Amino acid sequence: MGPLIPNHLIPLEWNNIIAIIIGIAFGFVLEASGFSSSRKLAGVFYGYDFAVLKVFFTAAVVSVIGIYYMDYLGYLDITQLYVHPTYLWAAIIGGAIMGVGFVAGGFCPGTSLCAVAIGKLDAWIYVFGILIGIFIFSELYNFIEPLFNGDFLGNITLIDTFNWNPYWFIFIFSIIAIIAFAVADFVQKKVKKVFY
Amino acid sequence: MIKKQTAKVLALRYKFLAFILFILAGGLVLLPKYQKNEGIKPEQLLSNVISSERYISTDQIAHKIINQDRSAILIDVRDENSFNKYTLPNAINIPLKKILDEEASVYVNQNQYDVVFFSNDNFYSDQAWVLCNRLGYKNLHVLKGGINRWFNTIINPPKPTEDMPEEAFNLYATRKASSMYFGVVYPDQVGIKTSELVKKTAPKQIITVQKKKKAPEGGC
Repeated sequence: MGPLIPNHLIPLEWNNIIAIIIGIAFGFVLEASGFSSSRKLAGVFYGYDFAVLKVFFTAAVVSVIGIYYMDYLGYLDITQLYVHPTYLWAAIIGGAIMGVGFVAGGFCPGTSLCAVAIGKLDAWIYVFGILIGIFIFSELYNFIEPLFNGDFLGNITLIDTFNWNPYWFIFIFSIIAIIAFAVADFVQKKVKKVFY
Repeated sequence: MIKKQTAKVLALRYKFLAFILFILAGGLVLLPKYQKNEGIKPEQLLSNVISSERYISTDQIAHKIINQDRSAILIDVRDENSFNKYTLPNAINIPLKKILDEEASVYVNQNQYDVVFFSNDNFYSDQAWVLCNRLGYKNLHVLKGGINRWFNTIINPPKPTEDMPEEAFNLYATRKASSMYFGVVYPDQVGIKTSELVKKTAPKQIITVQKKKKAPEGGC
């Protein structure tokens, strides 16, 4: 975990315990900010509640700034970080399908489990829908397989592909985040409020 | 009234947070970038030093030179006088003091050719290897035993006694053939009736003076 374990400040076995603690804290924060309500989550697409947008942007900006500061101070090594492999068309099509599921159901997979924990019935149906989707995918895997494994561009980042300066990219990204928050607030005042 | 006040405070809070974010991101851009440790990490250097896979034996080097295998660059890390007295054919002289210079890095810091360091024995060439390996150069090797072992095995191979296995005799035959390639004259091969072996120093260019096929010597 972070700069603690690779620099041998605490023993390696703390990894799992820290993971459990972070997971508990994450679930707590998710529920406390009201993300178990499907109306709040689907509000991004209808324009009356932009909490999801703000959470995502804040998480991305805080983590990228934190990582780069720790890399600058020497606690972390950016080149050793794991980057997800990029399968181009699989990501695009999968993202589109997930977007449809998000708006239709009003949950992400993570928040659906959160809502299951508090006993909402639509979350149970959502999880059941996830399982049906997995089943359909595994049955049709022979047809989907070239899409699934194709266009493999490696474990690259935006910074690698376009050769941007990472620090300027982070700066511009956080400016965009602040502008997005302001626009979201502006839109939220104009749209009719929905009871949830 | 209260709602208006809370709305004002909330707006101020968000502006404050946005300002902090702006400062942090700006700081990341403006902080002076410095070069962290150049080269590989200490643990990796240690594991490289301990493993013995950098050594090339003299037989392998002789094999490469005789086959005119141009994939290896031989670098002599002794000083100029020793280099001018005797060295391996086609070797470049980069004294150990100058191994990190710009002109030396042309030979050392490249990925195409293998680089073989050698000196009188392992020590200086190992030092050169450690220095270059620390900087992360690739394809570095060290001639095990250096010039001393080169003399003792290739130029002047020890004759095996009768109780050694057949491989020792084959090895002696190949070594004797390699030594003839490098200019050693054997009296019984040439027919000169001299009592001692005439050792010529190996020439700097590869002159194919006496290139015989590697046939086994004994048991004709």
